[in-house]
Amino acid sequence: MDLRAGDSWGMLACLCAVLWHLPAVPALNRTGDPGPGPSIQKTYDLTRYLEHQLRSLAGTYLNYLGPPFNEPDFNPPRLGAETLPRATVNLDVWRSLNDKLRLTQNYEAYSHLLCYLRGLDRQAATAELRRSLAHFCTSLQGLLGSIAGVMAALGYPLPQPLPGAEPTRAPGPAHGDFLQKMDDFWLLKELQTWLWRSAKDFNRLKKKTQPPPAAVTLHLEAHGF
Amino acid sequence: MALFSAFQTTFLLALLSLKTYQSEVLSEPLSLAPESLEVSIDSARQCLHLKWSVHNLAYHQELKMVFQIEISRIKTSNVIWVENYSTTVKRNQVLRWSWESKLPLECAKHSVRMRGAVDDAQVPELRFWSNWTSWEEVDVQSSLGHDPLFVFPKDKLVEEGSNVTICYVSRSHQNNISCYLEGVRMHGEQLDPNVCVFHLKNVPFIRETGTNIYCKADQGDVIKGIVLFVSIFEEPKDFSCETRDLKTLNCTWAPGSDAGLLTQLSQSYTLFESFSGKKTLCKYKSWCNWQVSPDSQEMYNFTLTAENYLRKRSVHLLFNLTHRVHPMAPFNVFVKNVSATNATMTWKVHSIGNYSTLLCQIELYGEGKVIQKQNVSVKVNGKHLMKKLEPSTEYAAQVRCANANHFWKWSEWTRRNFTTAEAAPSEAPDVWRNVKSVQGHCVVTLFWKPLSKLQANGKILFYNVVLENLDRPSTLKLLSIPAPANGTELTLDRCSYQIHVTANNSVGTSPASVIAVSGDPGNKEVEEERVKGTEDGFCLSWKPQPGDVTGYVVEWCERPGDPLCDLQWKNLGPNTTSTVVSSDAFRPGVRYNFRIYGISTERIPYLLEKKTGYSQELVPSDNPQVLMSNLTSYSFTLSWKDYAAESQPGFVQGYSLYLKSKAARCLPGSEKAVLSDDSICCKYKIDNPKQKTFVVENLQPASFYEFFLTPYTSVGEGPQGAFTKVTTPDEYSHILIRIILPMIFSILLIMILCYLKSQWMKEKCYPDIPDPYKSSVLSLIKSKENPRLTIMNVKDCIPDAIEVINKQEGTRKSLTETEPTKPTYLYLLPTEKSHSGPGPCICFENFTYNQAASDSVSCGHVPVTPKAQPSQLGLLTSSENVPKALGKNYVNSLGEIPAGETNLNYVSQLASPMCGDKSSLPTNPPEPALCSEYKTQMAIPMGLASPPSITLLDEGEHDH
Repeated sequence: MDLRAGDSWGMLACLCAVLWHLPAVPALNRTGDPGPGPSIQKTYDLTRYLEHQLRSLAGTYLNYLGPPFNEPDFNPPRLGAETLPRATVNLDVWRSLNDKLRLTQNYEAYSHLLCYLRGLDRQAATAELRRSLAHFCTSLQGLLGSIAGVMAALGYPLPQPLPGAEPTRAPGPAHGDFLQKMDDFWLLKELQTWLWRSAKDFNRLKKKTQPPPAAVTLHLEAHGF
Repeated sequence: MALFSAFQTTFLLALLSLKTYQSEVLSEPLSLAPESLEVSIDSARQCLHLKWSVHNLAYHQELKMVFQIEISRIKTSNVIWVENYSTTVKRNQVLRWSWESKLPLECAKHSVRMRGAVDDAQVPELRFWSNWTSWEEVDVQSSLGHDPLFVFPKDKLVEEGSNVTICYVSRSHQNNISCYLEGVRMHGEQLDPNVCVFHLKNVPFIRETGTNIYCKADQGDVIKGIVLFVSIFEEPKDFSCETRDLKTLNCTWAPGSDAGLLTQLSQSYTLFESFSGKKTLCKYKSWCNWQVSPDSQEMYNFTLTAENYLRKRSVHLLFNLTHRVHPMAPFNVFVKNVSATNATMTWKVHSIGNYSTLLCQIELYGEGKVIQKQNVSVKVNGKHLMKKLEPSTEYAAQVRCANANHFWKWSEWTRRNFTTAEAAPSEAPDVWRNVKSVQGHCVVTLFWKPLSKLQANGKILFYNVVLENLDRPSTLKLLSIPAPANGTELTLDRCSYQIHVTANNSVGTSPASVIAVSGDPGNKEVEEERVKGTEDGFCLSWKPQPGDVTGYVVEWCERPGDPLCDLQWKNLGPNTTSTVVSSDAFRPGVRYNFRIYGISTERIPYLLEKKTGYSQELVPSDNPQVLMSNLTSYSFTLSWKDYAAESQPGFVQGYSLYLKSKAARCLPGSEKAVLSDDSICCKYKIDNPKQKTFVVENLQPASFYEFFLTPYTSVGEGPQGAFTKVTTPDEYSHILIRIILPMIFSILLIMILCYLKSQWMKEKCYPDIPDPYKSSVLSLIKSKENPRLTIMNVKDCIPDAIEVINKQEGTRKSLTETEPTKPTYLYLLPTEKSHSGPGPCICFENFTYNQAASDSVSCGHVPVTPKAQPSQLGLLTSSENVPKALGKNYVNSLGEIPAGETNLNYVSQLASPMCGDKSSLPTNPPEPALCSEYKTQMAIPMGLASPPSITLLDEGEHDH
C-alpha cells in the first residue's frame, strides 16, 4: 500500500478528532458510583489467580515434604489439623447461607489460613520456597483486603477477631514432625478447597449483584470528514 | 582412778564395736547387694536409666564393686543385654547407669535386674556375687494412650550411614498394618502380634525435611508416621599446628561438612595432646591455641575431636616442635648509607632457640619489579649491601626469614622504601629548532626533550642555553631556563650561531647538545611526496646525501591542524636512510607532513625531503558543492571548483558521479551502480582528482535526471548525499525562441505597415476590380497553352445593360447577407418574351477565373437568382446577335484554333452586368433546386448552339 503524505495527514487529523471527542464518549466518562460489581469481579479474579498460584506452590511444597505427601492419591485422615477452618460444607447448608454469612466465613477462613501460612513461610528451608510462600501470603493478604472491600461495599461489617484467639502454627518437635507435615498438607488442601469454594461464592454474588446488561454505545462524532 | 575407769570403758566400747562389725561382715556376706533399684525411661534417646544404692556399707567406707546388669525384652527369660559395671561405692551413694536401646523402648516391654560383688583388693573375701535384685519391668506401651496405632522412635536424629530400628504398635489385632519408607513398603519382623520391627541399615540423607516413615491400617482412617532426620557430619580437614615464638602453638583446621538438618546442631572441638595428657576445649570452630610446656617437650601428638549431638570425629597430628616454627617478621629494618648507587639494609630477627639459625631472604624492587634477590643466614642481626643502584631512583627492599635447619614457613615480609642520591645528568638533551624570519630577524624556537629518568639522574632544575656567534667567536650569551620548560624562543640577527644546550640538576651539568643556525635559512623548494601510513606508523626513506652528514632529523607535527602543532622530531644516524615514525597521537584521517633534514658537519640542518600521508585514510567527509551550467537538451556541465580536496581525511583519487534517469540503459562512459537504498543508477568515474568540471552528455531532451557527485579515496566514497534534479529542455524550444519571436515581430511590423498603407495595399493587392492580367491564372493558361481558353477583355465587352449600383463606400456584404442589393438594370439589347414560372436557370461562371472548375460537377457556390434571369436571359435570347456583337473578337480568336476544330462555333459568354463586381454575386440566395448550372464552357456545333438556350429561356420569365 502506497501511503501518500495526504493520506497521513488525513489519518492524523482523524486521530486528533477522535482524541478530541474522547471525553464525550459516555462509556469512558463515568463518574458515578460503580457499585460492588467491579470489586466482586476483582475478588473473583484474584481468587482464580490464587487457585492457579497455589497449584504450583503446593506442588513444590509437598515435594519438599517428601513422600507420601507429594503422592497424588495420598489422602490421610485429618489428624491434628482440627484448628484449620474447614472449607467443606453440606450443599444444603451452603445454599441456605446468605451473602453476608458467606462473606464472613470466607473472611474468617482466610484470616486464619494466612496466619498458618506465615508459620509455614518461617520454617521453610530453601530461599526459593520462602519466596514463593511470601508471594502467596502477599496475594492472600490482597484477597482478604478485597473481600473486606466487597463487604464494605455491600454494607456488611467485618468480623471482629476474637482477642487471644490468633491461630498459630504448632511448633514441630512436641507435636511430632510427621503430624506437623500432615498439618502442612492439610493447610494446603484446605486452602485449595477454600479458594474453589470462594470462587463459587463470588461468582454467585457477582451474578446476583450484576445489573441487567446495559448496552454501552460508543458514539463517535467525527465532524469535518 | 577415774581417768583409768573412763579409758577402760572407752576401750571396751571400741572393742565391742569392732566385734560387732566383724560379726556383721562375716555373718552376713550377702548384704552388699544393690538395693532400691529404679529404672526410668528417656524415650527421646531410647535410654534406660538405672538408679540404685548399696546400703550395707560402713560409714566412710569406700569399696570397689562390680555390678552385673541383665536386661531382658518382652519376657524375662529373653535376656538381650548383660553388662558388668565397676565403680567405687560409698555408703548410701546413689549409683547410676544408662543403657541405650537399639529398639525403641516403646516397642517392647523391658525388664532389668542386677547383682553386685565387691571387687576390692582390700576385702578379697567379699568377692562374690550378691543375689539378683527382682526384675524391674519397664512397660511404656501401657502408658501410650488409646490411639489405634503408634510408630517409634519419634522423630529421631541419626547420622548418615547408621542403622536404625523402627517399630509400630497396633492396638487392634484384626487390622493389617503396612508401613512405608519414602512411599516404599517395608517388610519387618513381627515382635509380637501387635508389634512389628523394621531394621533400616545404612540410612542415607534424602532431604532436609527428613525421611518420612509411616504406617497405616488397611481398614479405617488410621495413619501414623515419623520423620527420621539424617545428618552428615564430617571430620575436620587440614589440621595443622605451628609456633611463632616457641611459647604458643597455634592449631588450625577446616571444619568438616555438617549438613543435612534444618537446624544446625552445635559442634564442639577438643584438642588433646597425648604425651602430656592435656586437653583443651577450643573456643573457635577453626583454630585453637596450645601453650607450649616449659619443660622443653619436643614431640607433640595432638588429637582434634569434633563432636556434635550425634557423634565424634577425630584427626591426629604428630610433630616436632622445632620443625613447626614459623618465624616472626624481621624487625628494626633500616636502609642506611644510601648513595647514588649503593645502600645497606640492616634488620633483627626473633630468636628461635639458642643454636638455631635463620635464613633470611632480601628482595629489591625497582619500579614494581624484583631486580635483586639475595639469601642471608642470620643469628640475630642481619645486614646486606645493595649495589648497582641507579641514581635518584626509588627502591623498595624487603626481608623475610625462615628456620634454616628445618624449613617450615617463611615469615611475613618487612618492607622499607628508599631513594638513591642524585648524580649529574648522563646524556645531553635532544634539541631541535624551528627557524622563522620575522622583520629581518631570525626567530629561532628551540625545543628539547626532557631527559629520561635514567639520563637525568635526579631532578632537572634548569637548562642552560649558550649562544655562540660564529661570526664573532668571542661573543657568548648564556640563558638559563628553569625546568620543566622544554623549549625557548630566541630572536637573533642574521649572523650564524651555534647553540649549546645543557641540562642541570643539583649535582651537575649534562653534556652539551649543539645545534647551529646559519644566516641563510636555506629553505629550498622541495617537492612533497606522498607516503602511505600503516598501523605501525609511517615508513619514511630518503636518498643518502653525498658529502659529510653527521645525521638526519625527521620532523613532524602531531597535531597538524593546531597552531601549537606539537612539533616532534627524531634524530637518526648518518648512515640511516629510512625510519619508521610511529606515535600514539597519530589519528586516522589526519594528514601528517614530515620533513627530513640532513645535519651538516657544522651542525646546520638543511631540508632534504618532504613527505605527507595519512596513518589511515578514511572516506571523504563531505561532498563538493556542485554547480550546474550549460544546460542543453542533450547535456549539462557540472563544476565543483571550490571543493577543498586537501582537507579530506584521505587522498582524493577522483570523483564518482551518479546519474539517475528513466532510461533503462546507461550512457556510454558510465556503468550501472546500485546505491545503498537499492536504487539503480549510472555511475561516471572521474579518475583525475584535479578535474573539477564534468560534462554530462548524450542526454535525452525534455527528460528528468538526478545527479550526485562524491569524491573517493582509496578507502571509499564520500557520504551519500541528496541528488540534484535537472530536466533537460525541449529540443525546439531554442528554435522557438530564436525564430518564432523574430517572425512574430516581423509580422507585427508588416501588419503595422499594412495598416498604415492600407489604401495603397488595397489598391495593389486586392483592388475592387482585379486585373485579370495580373492574375496567376494567366500564367497557368499560358503554360498549358490551351488555345481555347483566353481572357476576356473588358474593353471587348459590349454593354447591353447598365446596372446602377448604389453601393456605399467601405461596406462589404458577405456571402450570407440576406438583404440583397437591388440592382437596377438598363437593358441595352432588345428583349424577348420573358419566360415565366419556375424553370431551370442558367448560371454563368466566369471561367476566366475558374478554369479548374470546368471538371467540376457542382456549381453551388455561384447560384443564380430568378430575379437575375430576365436580364441574363435577355442577353441570351438573340442568338443571332451574339456573333455580331462578338464577331470581331471571336474571329480573332478562331484564328488561333487548331485546324481540326474550326467547324465549331463559340457560344459567347456575355459579360454579366456584375462582371468585376463580386460583391453583388452573393445577393442571390441559393436556390439550387431551381437552378440548372451551366458549368463548362465548351465547344459545341454551330447548329446546336442556340436551341437549348432558347428552349430553356422563356421570355415570359423576364417580365418580372
